[in-house]
Amino acid sequence: MAVREQELAALASGGDPPRSSLPELLDRLVEPFHRGAPPAPQVATGFYTDTTVCIGCKACEVACKQWNQLPADGFAWIGDSYDNTGGLSATSWRHVKFIEQFPVDGSPALAGTGPDLLDPGRWLMMSDVCKHCVTAPCQQACPTGALIHTEFDNVYIQSDICNGCAYCVAACPFGVITRSALDGHAHKCTLCYDRQRDGLVPACAKACPTQSIQFGPIDQLRERARERVATLHEQGASGAYLYGDAPSATYSELHSFYLLVDRPSVYGLPDNPFNPWLRMKGDYLRAAVCALAAIAVLLPLLLAR
Amino acid sequence: MHHGYADRLVTKAPNWHGLVALDTLFNNMTTGLFLVAALGELFAPKVFAVVARSAYPIALLLLLADLFCLVLDLGDPLRFHHMLRVFKPTSPMSLGTWCLTVYALPLTVLAALSVLPSGALEWARRPAIILGLLPALGAAVYKGVLFSTSAQPGWKDARWLGGYLASSAVMVGAAQLLLLSIATGQLVAAVALRPALVLLLLLNAVSLGLVIRDTRATLARAYDRARRGRLILVVAGGGVFAPLCLLAVAGPIPVAGAVLLIVLEALLIRTEIVRLPHLLAQTPVGGR
Repeated sequence: MAVREQELAALASGGDPPRSSLPELLDRLVEPFHRGAPPAPQVATGFYTDTTVCIGCKACEVACKQWNQLPADGFAWIGDSYDNTGGLSATSWRHVKFIEQFPVDGSPALAGTGPDLLDPGRWLMMSDVCKHCVTAPCQQACPTGALIHTEFDNVYIQSDICNGCAYCVAACPFGVITRSALDGHAHKCTLCYDRQRDGLVPACAKACPTQSIQFGPIDQLRERARERVATLHEQGASGAYLYGDAPSATYSELHSFYLLVDRPSVYGLPDNPFNPWLRMKGDYLRAAVCALAAIAVLLPLLLAR
Repeated sequence: MHHGYADRLVTKAPNWHGLVALDTLFNNMTTGLFLVAALGELFAPKVFAVVARSAYPIALLLLLADLFCLVLDLGDPLRFHHMLRVFKPTSPMSLGTWCLTVYALPLTVLAALSVLPSGALEWARRPAIILGLLPALGAAVYKGVLFSTSAQPGWKDARWLGGYLASSAVMVGAAQLLLLSIATGQLVAAVALRPALVLLLLLNAVSLGLVIRDTRATLARAYDRARRGRLILVVAGGGVFAPLCLLAVAGPIPVAGAVLLIVLEALLIRTEIVRLPHLLAQTPVGGR
């Protein structure tokens, strides 16, 4: 855990005035069971990240930390190009990835067609974030109901409900969610739910100087992204494609999808994401069969007496 | 040529460690002991009623140990009751929590009846046993499905993990009841349970074999060949072959030894299951 995170906890907070322990205990017990009326559904929103125009400035990381008041993670030279963030965490909800694809020993090693073949090398940069899956394994896993889809169809963790069981961490095929060592709860990108409710653009998209991160109604973003891919293909970048814009046989579409020019795994994304819940019924069936088989072995021997 | 992030594990290992291994063991021990004792009392009361009376309080203590581990393992243990905010069958953890909660009620009644003077509220025994069967079975079944319904390497491939843990629960339950039968002088019950335990050991070895088959690629990445060999030797030798040999010998000490080995092997396997994603997080995707 970062040192700064510890320091944050030591700061004086201007929270609720102190109360006697009994009302506080009752409040703790009862309050989580109170339900408000769910807000009316709105147009589904999301992110479209065009990695071909990302310049790796990390303004998105800074804007995210600033708006969400996330503490710094300390500073470490991790020896991984310009990536000194390392990964998404409970306190880093945006992570800019750097991939240096340059030929070793002067050989033109890039795979591709057209002008790409002659390139001496290239940088790939990508701002990673929660994928806000339409069918989200983290939400399916959550036993407390803390993980919900908001009225904007984004995946959101209710921090006052989460009890830190970490099943969402185990369930996420993208390695996004992290349990904080500070408060013990799971954290990830909220898609600036608070800003959206006030009609504002999420902080990262607002700060992005190249429009690599675009925010808006998801249908419009998909249309825009497909046009961009067509343009790139016309320009000779035949390797450009969209990741997560449409559902596959094993995974739903993502409300944060990407335009990529290399294999997903190069960017640290699963090549073929799989929703573990597709196999749950079969697993229950096998477990029940084994339990009943064990009982079937047991019973005749008990009945024989 | 820099391959970017292609050699990294995409998923994050959850913050589950020794407490979860212990919780899984206690879960299997309490549900298994209850199931075997309850079935014995229902179907052969003359043989098993006495030993079942000793079994229920022990099953309750094991359940409390299980719940203690479950609560303590949460990031925020004071919010443990948030688990009961929703009933969500799509979440194995939610289903398991509710099964354990419901199972706790008849088990508490049965444990209380077992320590009360004989005859008091005796009419409540049979309904409590029947009411406890289904949630106990659910609590035994959900745990492995919870692991296999995840994105974690190893767990996600283990289609028979739920099956293994469920059959293991019945086996460990039979082992505990056998030991209790001997300890309480219920020799007829012990004679019935001994061959049952032998068969359950063999059945459980088959389901474990299926888990190993499903996860062999992941195991090969996590452990080098020598470590894998040692692990299989310990599991097969110490957890199956040695208990079988000990069960072939008459007398309480060999049986106690067999039960101890079965429980230790169960703990070892659960520890390795919980550790697997953490081991792989330290290993490049290409393997060792």
